[in-house]
This record gives sequence, C-alpha cells and structure tokens, in this order.
Amino acid sequence: MRKLPRAVRLDLVAPVHRAPVAGATLLAAGIAAALALGLAFEQKVEERGRLDAELGARVAPRHGPPTPESLALSAESAAIERQLAVPWTRLLAELESASHDSGGRVSLLQIEPDPAKRQVRITAEVRAMNDALVYLRRLQRSPVLRHPMLESHERRKDDPDHPVRVRVSAEWRT
Amino acid sequence: MSPLWRDEVAVYLAPRKLALLRRARGLRPSVEAATEIAVTVGASGDLAPVLARLSDVLAEKTWHGAAARVVVADHPWVRYGIVPWPKTRLDEEGRLTHARLVLGDAWGETVADWSVTLADTPPGQACVACAMPASLRGGIEDALAPARLSLVSLQPRLIVAFNAWRERLPADDAWFVSVDDGSLSAVHLSGGAWDRVHMARLPADWSVELERLKAFGRLTRAAGEPARMFVDAPAWMRRGVSAGEGIEWLEAGEGDGAQTDDLALLQRMHA
Repeated sequence: MRKLPRAVRLDLVAPVHRAPVAGATLLAAGIAAALALGLAFEQKVEERGRLDAELGARVAPRHGPPTPESLALSAESAAIERQLAVPWTRLLAELESASHDSGGRVSLLQIEPDPAKRQVRITAEVRAMNDALVYLRRLQRSPVLRHPMLESHERRKDDPDHPVRVRVSAEWRT
Repeated sequence: MSPLWRDEVAVYLAPRKLALLRRARGLRPSVEAATEIAVTVGASGDLAPVLARLSDVLAEKTWHGAAARVVVADHPWVRYGIVPWPKTRLDEEGRLTHARLVLGDAWGETVADWSVTLADTPPGQACVACAMPASLRGGIEDALAPARLSLVSLQPRLIVAFNAWRERLPADDAWFVSVDDGSLSAVHLSGGAWDRVHMARLPADWSVELERLKAFGRLTRAAGEPARMFVDAPAWMRRGVSAGEGIEWLEAGEGDGAQTDDLALLQRMHA
C-alpha cells in the first residue's frame, strides 16, 4: 500500500489531541445512564427475589433451623403419638381371652408396653411350668401378637404355694 | 436539525472575499446553502472590512444556529514554521515559547504578539507551528455570536488544503503548493511529514504568477534532483497551463465544476 503523508492536525480553537467537551459530556452521560440502568436492574432483581421468596413461603412454608425447644417439643409429640398408637383395647381383650382359655391357671401380674419397640412384656404366675407353656402356645396363635417368647421363668420359693413366675415378650400387630 | 447532529457552517475568510457553506449533518449529509461574496472595501489585508462583511452576511437566517468552522487565508494572516524537536524535555508552555522563537527568526517582529499554535505531532519529530494575529479569533467570534454560531474550529488554508489533498500526494520529496489570490504557500514533504514551508506574495497578473510558480519549482530542486510539484490552484490558473510543465494540478473529480475553488475547499474539509 502506498505510504501517505501524515495529516497535519492543527487547530487554533479545537486542539485535536484533547477530547471535545461535548464528547466528554456525552461519555459522562453515557456512563451515568449505564450506571443508573445497572442500579435499576439490580433493584428489579432484588425485588424479584423477594417476591419469589414470598411466593415460596405461601406455597410451601419453610422451617427454620431447629431449636432445642422445638426438638424437645417434637420428641414429646412423638412419644405421645407412640403412646396413643398402643392398641390397648385389642391387646387387653386378647390377653383376657388367653387367660380365660387357660382355665384360670395363669395369673397376670403385669403388662408393660414399650411403644418405641412396639413390644409388650407380660409377667404372670402359674402353678406348673406346663401351664406356662400352654399359655405361651395360646399367645402364639393370637392374631394380635407376633413372636411371643418366654424370656424367663422362676419358681418363687418365698411363696408358700411355690408358683412359677414367667416373663413373656411379644410384638403387637398393627 | 438534530441536537446530536448540529448543522455546520464553514466560512472561508480572505482579504478580498468570503465563502460560506452550510451543511446538514447526519446519516445523509447535504449542503443546505453556499455563497461566495467579494469584499471590495478597505485595504487588502485589513481584517476589519472582511469581518464587517461577514457580519452583514450572517444577518440572514440561513446561516443562524450552527457550529462554525472557519478557514482563514494564509496571506496575510498566517505564518508557518517547522519547529525541531527540542533536545531537552519541555512542557506545553516551553514548547510554545520554542515555537515562538523559531517563528520570530523566520518572520521577525511581525509575529511577536501573534497567537501561536502547534500541530499535534508524535514525540521526537519536528512540529508544524502556526501564528495568527491575536485579535483574529476574538474578531471572528464577535462576528459569529449574533447569528448564534459557535466557533468550533479555526484553521489556516494551507493546513485544510493539505489535509484535503494528502491522499493524492507522495510521502517523500514532493512539494504541495496552495495558491490563492495574490499568495502562494508551499510545503516540502519528506518521510510523510513537512520539513520546509515557504510563503510568497504574488502579483495580480496570473501569467507572472505562473512563471513565478515554475521558477519556485526550479529553485527548490535540491542539488539538481527534480521534486514533483503538486499545485492546488484556482481553475482559471489551471486552464492556462497544460500538464508536463513541471506542475501537477490537483483537480477535483467531475461534478465539482459548478463550485468555486473556495467552496470546494470548504466542502472537502468535511469529507
């Protein structure tokens, strides 16, 4: 390409090496407008986030982090719920029926439910160990209980009739 | 008129004539008005009659409310000098003082109280300096103000003509000559930059002007080596001389013939 002479930039009014005032003003106005637009955009984004959060809270309430009080309350509620879940009526009716079937040879001493494990521990006294085994087989046929097991048996020597005290555990069905 | 694309009025001031051109800017710039007016009163070189005539012309609404770019004739209101790059580092004021010394050496006391301006030049290179009467800018602004014209540019003719024609010029060992009524300004190019500037007054007889121009070309050939001479001159002068006489005329393309040379210059200034 042919080399051209350099332009001579000389002006008594508008020095060419300086930006014209109008250009600088326009630049400043442009920057200001861009900043204003950016701020307005940021505000709109924040507003949208806030509205999104409000909408989310209305649709699906969110829980804050658990506090010790809320944990204790929750545990207490769970315990109450478990207690209420024990099928006392069916359980007592079944045990009463089993005692009746044993012909009065089994005396129920204690019934201890464990709602957390859905287990019931039965303490009873019988005259002979065989009566305890008959009673256990009767419980094993029960539709209310599951897996009845003889946990322990002990002959009471401090009692003049020397009864056998047995302990049976079983799970209840829901 | 859009505030972002303000119209421009270009004004050419010479001792015996004025030229004005109004140009609408924007995506499709166009010439809205153009006129050339003779200044017949006052002594040649006296600025006051020219500015008075300018004020009269600017009374017309055609020229009101625009940005004004003014070009002044080289003679008698402009002096040029080539200021070498100083050996020591100078600030802006020091560079102007240096330029004033160079101009004072070349033109004497005439330019002692004139305003001096330097061209924007890369560091390490010689710089074009220009002097104009200190009262020139104020006088022009006073004439423009009633017409709501704001002066945005004030340049001498040689600078405007050179920049307008530079794409037609070689970068090395060539002369660019700008001829106006009664004066001649010539620039020698070396390495793409100005390295010499001459100015001369010419008599009214065009044939004498032509012979002087040729003589000027011969005299400025260093050590017998020819230097091409590119001349921007009025059409009436070009018509009298054929090519091949050591002069290469700078002529605009077809379609510009209806304009005077001064109006064409003002239009090229915008191109």
